Amino acid sequence: MQVSLTRINKRFGSVQVLKDVDLVFPSRKFVTLLGPSGCGKTTLLRMIAGLEDITAGSIRFGEREVNKLAPRDRNIAMVFQSYALYPQMSVRRNLGYGLRVRGTPKADIEEAVGRVARILEIDHLLDRKPAQLSGGQRQRVALGRAMVRKPDIFLMDEPLSNLDAKLRVTMRGELRRFHLDLDATTIYVTHDQLEAMTMSDLIAVMHQGVVQQFGTPAEVYSQPANVFVAGFIGSPPMNFLPGTIDAGRFTFADAKLPLPALPGGVKPAHAAILGVRPQDLIFEGTPAADTLTGTISLVELLGSEKLVEVNLSGQKRMSVQIHADMVVNMGDRVHVKFDPQRVHVFDTESGRSLRAG
Amino acid sequence: MSRLNFLSSDRFVGLVFIAPFVVTALVFMVYPIAEAVRMSFFSYNPLRPDLTSFVGLANFEFVFSDPLFWDSFRQATIWTLLSIVFQTVFGVSIALLLHRALFGMAFFRGLLLFPYIVPTVVIALIWRWIFNPEIGVVNHFLLWVGLINEPVYWLSTPTMAMASTIMLNVWKYTPFVVICVLARLQTVPLELYDAAKVDGAGVIRRFLDVTLPQLREVLIVVIVFRTIWTFNKFEEIYLLTKGGPGTSTFNLAVYSFEQSMANLRVGVGAAAGVVMMIMLLVGSIVYLRIAGFGSEEK
Repeated sequence: MQVSLTRINKRFGSVQVLKDVDLVFPSRKFVTLLGPSGCGKTTLLRMIAGLEDITAGSIRFGEREVNKLAPRDRNIAMVFQSYALYPQMSVRRNLGYGLRVRGTPKADIEEAVGRVARILEIDHLLDRKPAQLSGGQRQRVALGRAMVRKPDIFLMDEPLSNLDAKLRVTMRGELRRFHLDLDATTIYVTHDQLEAMTMSDLIAVMHQGVVQQFGTPAEVYSQPANVFVAGFIGSPPMNFLPGTIDAGRFTFADAKLPLPALPGGVKPAHAAILGVRPQDLIFEGTPAADTLTGTISLVELLGSEKLVEVNLSGQKRMSVQIHADMVVNMGDRVHVKFDPQRVHVFDTESGRSLRAG
Repeated sequence: MSRLNFLSSDRFVGLVFIAPFVVTALVFMVYPIAEAVRMSFFSYNPLRPDLTSFVGLANFEFVFSDPLFWDSFRQATIWTLLSIVFQTVFGVSIALLLHRALFGMAFFRGLLLFPYIVPTVVIALIWRWIFNPEIGVVNHFLLWVGLINEPVYWLSTPTMAMASTIMLNVWKYTPFVVICVLARLQTVPLELYDAAKVDGAGVIRRFLDVTLPQLREVLIVVIVFRTIWTFNKFEEIYLLTKGGPGTSTFNLAVYSFEQSMANLRVGVGAAAGVVMMIMLLVGSIVYLRIAGFGSEEK
């Protein structure tokens, strides 16, 4: 089921939390709404669920507008951050609740609950109460409650954020697998860019109620539309240097750095921000016109890599990711270089990428 | 351990902190209860203390063979049961209403405490005026609306007197139920309601499957407390009807008071008090067991 949002606006009193959101979630895709807290992603999800009124705009499931439909009539299922299991009911009754409310015959409920419990490997927990389950088990029950009704659309509101780091990694893979088995459209809300990158077919990056970019994980990573997306996606985060563009070169302090082609159009002495990921920087033996010189102020071992912080002139810092075997010491003077094809250039005023047309 | 060490230890500080309560409890609770139990085995007339004598279980025998005691017990049960039912139903309903974020609710929440904070004596006097057959506002209003054709003798017929005392009790203590329930309602996770909505539950099912189970524990506690306090209640009945007309609104507290103070048979009054205490103790334990209080994990 395709979900289309057209010019969606949401206001809480005088606060505008969503501004003209236009998104199309293609049928059977796993789409993530990604953004920092307060960006409006959960509100948008709740509006799709019918739990929140729409101030303006239209939500359509397939061809049908659902603006006025109650949640129960939308054939959706939702997994909540706190799982929201009914504490007085056994796992079995929690799983079957949605079917029971809809008057499904008892035998069919048993059958559906059994099927979902087997898929999620929670059939041995059916007679327990939620309080007797671990976090991961509760998560599975919440997932099962959503799956049992065979919904057209799956809504998930940060379902992994209450799990410990290791379990989160396992569940990421499982959620992705369930999505592929279920044949439903999944809309997933998270502030964790790693979750978004690993699980999604498409990511909508949101900030201050506005969709900043909508694309595949590879697109938002390698072609960020603006400074916000560039800074939010990727770990460790991208380095930004303020400067000006003159005659095809980026001027920062004394350095004149090479740039890629900029179809975005450049004025003389154009104020711009250069963005480059720590992975795309290398150390050079000798200084040159296209290198930046600085002093190493911090070295962090990440395992197979080291993250090196370099103090440049003008109080700017840059992080450089290098192989763990490379020997560097704090206080070393180093020269940093990058491939011009791997940098991002943004207009200082609008924040928009100058690499896009 | 040296003396100085003990004085600065956590143990000593802890003892100092609980001491005021322990002393108060001993003086005002344990001693009177013990004294009442002792008294229940003696024949004691405050005007002739020289005739005080140990009578064994004679006071209890008297109490159990006294028809008035059993009438009082029956009336106390009716009065308690009806008071609690109405208080709970009204309390939960009002709490659900006040829980909604409607305009002016803060004002009503404040107003709600009014019956609870006004002294019972004042309330009883006001209610005696309100229920007065000739000049009371209740009759005046009902006659004016046309619901009744002649004045109702609210406090002068047994049934009406019982109904009036129940009404007073319900009016005064419903706010207690409202406050407890409201406090609990505010802690019910909103995501549970959202989950129920997505699952397809309507308003009634959401109340039955989300709200009510969450209120279970608080209602169990409230009902126990209200039952104990209502069964024991003395001043409301005494101030409103003095147990009358006749003995039709006697409960065990009034019975005990009348035996001790009017009939000067303090031993019998004490025995009635002891019986009442045991009844409440056993009743409460059985009720909490049946309700399964505390047995369920959160």
